Amino acid sequence: MKKKNPAINKGNSCALFVVLAVIGGMVAMLCGISALIALVSSPESTPAPTNATLDLAYSPEKDALMQDIIARFHKANYKTPSGLPMKIIATKMDAADIVDAARAGKFTAISPDSSLWLAQIDAGRERALVGESSRFAVTPIVIAMWSDAAQALGYPQKQIGWQDLLSKAKSDANFKWSHPSTSSASGLLATLAEFYAGANKTRGLTEADVKNRATLDYVAALEKTVRYYGEGEQATIDQVLARGRSYLDAFVVSERMVVYFNGKSSQKLVAIYPAEGTLWQDHPLALLEQPGLTDDQRLTFRRFRDFVLSPEIQKLILQSGYRPVDLNLRLDDPASPIKTSNGVDPAQPQTTLQMPSAAIIEIVQSSWYLAKRPANIYLVVDTSGSMGEQNKLTQAIDALVTFLDQVQGDRDRVGLVPFSNRVYNAIPSQDIGAQRAMLKTQVRALKASGQTALLDAVSYAYDDLQKRGDRERINAIVVMTDGIENQSSIKLNALTDKIKRGNASGVPIVIFCIGYGSDADWNVLNALADATGGFARRADPETIQKLYKILSTYF
Amino acid sequence: MNRTRLIFFAVILLALIIVGVSFVATQLSGNIPNPTAQPIQVRVVSALPIEPWVQDAATKFNAEKRTLDGRTIIVTVTPMDSVTALGKWDRGEFNPVPTVWIPDSRYLVELVNATYSAKLGRDVFLTDGEYRARPLVTSLFSWGMYKTRAETLEKKFGKDNINWKTIHDAAIAKGGWRELDGKAEWGYFKLIVPNPRKNAAGLLAMVAAAGEYYDKATITTEDVTNPQFQKWLKELMGSVTDFSSLSSYTVEDLALFGYSVGDGGQLLESDLLVNMQGIQTRWSDPLVIVYPKYLTWFDFPFTIWMGTETSAVEKNAALQFQKFLLSTPIQSTAAARGFRPANAEVSIAGAESLFVKWKDQGAKTLVPSTARMRAPDRETLQTLLRWFDLNVAK
Repeated sequence: MKKKNPAINKGNSCALFVVLAVIGGMVAMLCGISALIALVSSPESTPAPTNATLDLAYSPEKDALMQDIIARFHKANYKTPSGLPMKIIATKMDAADIVDAARAGKFTAISPDSSLWLAQIDAGRERALVGESSRFAVTPIVIAMWSDAAQALGYPQKQIGWQDLLSKAKSDANFKWSHPSTSSASGLLATLAEFYAGANKTRGLTEADVKNRATLDYVAALEKTVRYYGEGEQATIDQVLARGRSYLDAFVVSERMVVYFNGKSSQKLVAIYPAEGTLWQDHPLALLEQPGLTDDQRLTFRRFRDFVLSPEIQKLILQSGYRPVDLNLRLDDPASPIKTSNGVDPAQPQTTLQMPSAAIIEIVQSSWYLAKRPANIYLVVDTSGSMGEQNKLTQAIDALVTFLDQVQGDRDRVGLVPFSNRVYNAIPSQDIGAQRAMLKTQVRALKASGQTALLDAVSYAYDDLQKRGDRERINAIVVMTDGIENQSSIKLNALTDKIKRGNASGVPIVIFCIGYGSDADWNVLNALADATGGFARRADPETIQKLYKILSTYF
Repeated sequence: MNRTRLIFFAVILLALIIVGVSFVATQLSGNIPNPTAQPIQVRVVSALPIEPWVQDAATKFNAEKRTLDGRTIIVTVTPMDSVTALGKWDRGEFNPVPTVWIPDSRYLVELVNATYSAKLGRDVFLTDGEYRARPLVTSLFSWGMYKTRAETLEKKFGKDNINWKTIHDAAIAKGGWRELDGKAEWGYFKLIVPNPRKNAAGLLAMVAAAGEYYDKATITTEDVTNPQFQKWLKELMGSVTDFSSLSSYTVEDLALFGYSVGDGGQLLESDLLVNMQGIQTRWSDPLVIVYPKYLTWFDFPFTIWMGTETSAVEKNAALQFQKFLLSTPIQSTAAARGFRPANAEVSIAGAESLFVKWKDQGAKTLVPSTARMRAPDRETLQTLLRWFDLNVAK
């Protein structure tokens, strides 16, 4: 019997250990690799989370409704198949600004007041940016008028049209009417209606018609009767609600705004559906095919679209004064707000103006800037010591520069009245084309120091505008201050008396006031605004730029 | 145990461990990566008028979890106007390539085939055999007009005389409806025609107008380039209120905005029928339907892409969906949407039928036997589209 060699046994044991160790290591490595490969290659493995949040820009007149709808949507807790919550970040924005933002690559979904803006987004683009779209609420654009004023024009027996409104405005110097700027559908319609009337047409408006001297003269003559423009129909309605009929006699808004107003006021408006024709706001909800749009965002869009078209939301839309797209909902239902007792007529409008192509609309918009009523504006700017705190003056300077950039064309006149202990370095109002750069330089050089001679500064600007006596223009003062008046020689009552007398006998001048920060003197600011039919609004360093931008739409 | 045996067993053990660990790992990861177990995707691109019906059918089909070779079939439907789809086929822009295309009309399929025959030497959509293009439902152009307006036109131009020529005369009336013995408050006559760049029906409406202008069923390039015809067509199209907005769905516009945007137009019968109730709910003036002399039919063929991008199993899955769409229950839902079913078992003469319901408004279960417009060739269509871009859209 062969005896086992212990050395060999020992060697075998060692070899076994080494082999097992190598195997163990390889197994561990292979396990890891296998598991990794399996995880990577498995088609059912959880996909990397993507963005399911929709960035939605919507036009401001439906702010309350949109906020309500979005809150309800979020409450429903919709999720994508991969489990991501469907969210919407909503931004309120003028329709014309939505066009610019969309073209600049911002937002994944939009809801302007009219689908005519969608055509502008895609105008000149090789590949369409506007993707899936559908409308969820409609409302015709009307001329809102106090019922007795409308009756004086022959309403409801006689069909009143744009021509009647414009004749009234031209013949009655006390008649106050306004329409928003062309950055909203209602403003664009009013402008289109003027160009149609100027060209003596109701359809087939051409580039030659728009640029025709006689048409432009006609539009310019009408625009001279406009009290001032504005940021949009919601702001106009809010002003009319606050000030009543002394503010405006007639204005262009959507039918829905008349319903909204009559639900809140004892004084009643009626909606005039212009005899020559109107246009509709059709509130599209459109997906933008921006680079990087994810499938999950697309799903969120579709879910939201279905949500706004659901019977529950469509009823909500009707209750808010819009005509819902769900044709099962009756406008003549007793619960419907679209009824004559609310100043509106569900059987109207009978006819519309022909909508020109996107190219013609652009020409109308640019021609309007040439024909619209030019403005004479003073920017009265507080540079007292307190403006140096919390970065306030720096933000205000940026806002003023934005305002100067926003003033379109070269026809408006702008001047600057900085003040602290007194007015200093004032720049007389001149054509902005000649002094835009200089104004910006002066604005950027402003420094904070001294007290607050607010009333003297307003008085200075007011006197200069009255001295010029330019009735062809909108004459306005935009006042910005952050503190309490403490340095002027003129008293508030004396100044407001002077303003009221001057506005009655001389040129009407409107004062818009910005109360900057928490220490502004609202008694003074409201008194100045109220004396002229303007308004006073609050701003802080975060919002002042936006407020100046809004104010630029009034001119 | 000697060293060789030891190594042998170790190798066997190692192999077993590797197999075992791999198995466990794949199980833990959720699935075995087996491509044959993946769902079969049937991607359908559908013409706009029929898309809601196809979409609903796809939802029902998917809910049934139908399988082929053990794999679930999933149908997804994308709405796309046929003219847009035609351009995408021509330029090879579909990515991924749809398994199925349902255009408005068979002649659009022939146009795509003509393009690919030149490129590949063969058709990409078949006209015979198992995978041939098969109509799902049919519909046709008919005049839809608000009743007060139709009555006024008939008084002016004679009974049963609503056609493209009288519509043209109404369109050029400088005094608008007042000149046509209608009410002044109606404004000018407003024709509804879809934007041909957004909706194939707009293009076919121009072809139909040309048919009546020349009083013939076949329209050529020579016809549409005739200056007199172009002048006539421009006058006609000048009465359309809006080509710029979302006017892909023109009957929806007619229902939503009423007579304020359109007095009437030659529109798809199914759209008119399905919106008839809504129009009566929203507007006091009902709509009437009038069938034209030259009929333009839409047959919505189910066409399977025969290119290499579609596998045999996908083609067969598409056939299953086609069969589902042609089944009696689904065809009945098409009839409820105002389409004329391809399945002869489904009647449109029953009491519930929209054709019967709106009989008094002019709807007919049997269309009067008149001339059928024939499909123009590609050059004629493109000439019309170019003319539209240069003369109307701008």
